[in-house]
Formats: sequence, structure tokens, C-alpha cells
Amino acid sequence: MKNMIKALRAERGWSQAALADQLGVSRQSVNAIETGKYDPSLPLAFSIARLFEKSIEEIFEDEAASNTELAAE
Amino acid sequence: MTQQTFKSASKRYWRAFVPIMLVYLVATLAGSFYLKTFEVEPVWLQTTVAVACTLPMLLFLFIQIRYFLETDEYNQMIQLKGFAIGSAITVGAIFLIGFLQMFHVVDQVEVFWFGPAFFIAYGLSTYLLGGRQLL
Repeated sequence: MKNMIKALRAERGWSQAALADQLGVSRQSVNAIETGKYDPSLPLAFSIARLFEKSIEEIFEDEAASNTELAAE
Repeated sequence: MTQQTFKSASKRYWRAFVPIMLVYLVATLAGSFYLKTFEVEPVWLQTTVAVACTLPMLLFLFIQIRYFLETDEYNQMIQLKGFAIGSAITVGAIFLIGFLQMFHVVDQVEVFWFGPAFFIAYGLSTYLLGGRQLL
């Protein structure tokens, strides 16, 4: 799943480790989520959204929904 | 419920892991040296040493499971997949070697070695699944 975490983190000048600390996860988890290797659970996605003061939809792109919309056009 | 963070779960794991491994090391070394002092090793003593060496290993497996439950979700996924693949490889090896023994293709194999084999298979699987990032 594509997401905006890297950009949002860069805007705030946070390292992966700093973000990981705030979320209570490992730096490797943040890296895996950022690179799309791992999709976070709903509670973790909510924590991320809360931290960046955004909605989940603003951070994570629902690729399946985007593909459906593209196909409909 | 208190949410365990990755760091506190890791700290808790290492705090338990180090003493358990030290006890295991002392039990295996002291136990085998002590047994060698007997001309004919008493069965009850052999059994006691075997149990004393096994208990820390069982405890280690329990703290490993506790770590799976307490660590963050990504690490949990990697560890559980590694554990499952390691178990599958080891069980597969047990069946294969077991059948080869029954068919008299291979001689008797020490069952003990399936234990270390499991930990090697689990460790390698975890590493290859992405756990290498965790090192």
C-alpha cells in the first residue's frame, strides 16, 4: 500500500527512529511500512494518522479503490 | 491493557534471555563434567542432569513466545513466520530421517540434534524473511 509517511516525516524533520519511538515500534517497522513492504494494522494506522494529525485516507492510498475508479472511467 | 512497545519488549526479552542461557551453559557443562567423574553413571543422576539442562531451554521457548506477543506487529509477523517455517523444516527433517532409519538407509541419528537444527532453521528463516533488517 502506498503512503505519505516518508514525506510527512521529512516535513517534520523526524528520522525513522524518532517516528518509531513515538509509535512504539521498531525502526525496521517504519521502514517496512514506508517502503510498502508491510501494511500496518488498523490500530497502528490510526496511531500514525493521529501523530501526523491527518486522516488515514490522507496518509494511505487505497490502491484497490484507485484501480476500481480508474477502470470505471 | 498496557501496550508494550518494541523497546520494552526487547529489553524484557534480553533481561530473561541472558540469565537463562547462562543457567543452560552451566547446567550442561557442570552436568556433563560431573557425570564423567563416575565410573558407572547412575541413571537417576543422568536423568536429573538431563532435566536440569532441558528446563532452561523450555523457559527460553516460553520467553520467546512472550516476546512474539509483546513486540511490535511487523517484528511479530517476521518472527512468527520464521518460527513456523523453522518448525516445518525441522518436522520435515524428522520425518525424512525417521523413514530413512526405518528403511535402514541411515544409521541411528541422535534425536538431540533436532533441537539445534530447529533453532538454526528458525534463525535462518527469520533472517531471510526480512529479519536481517532487525539485526
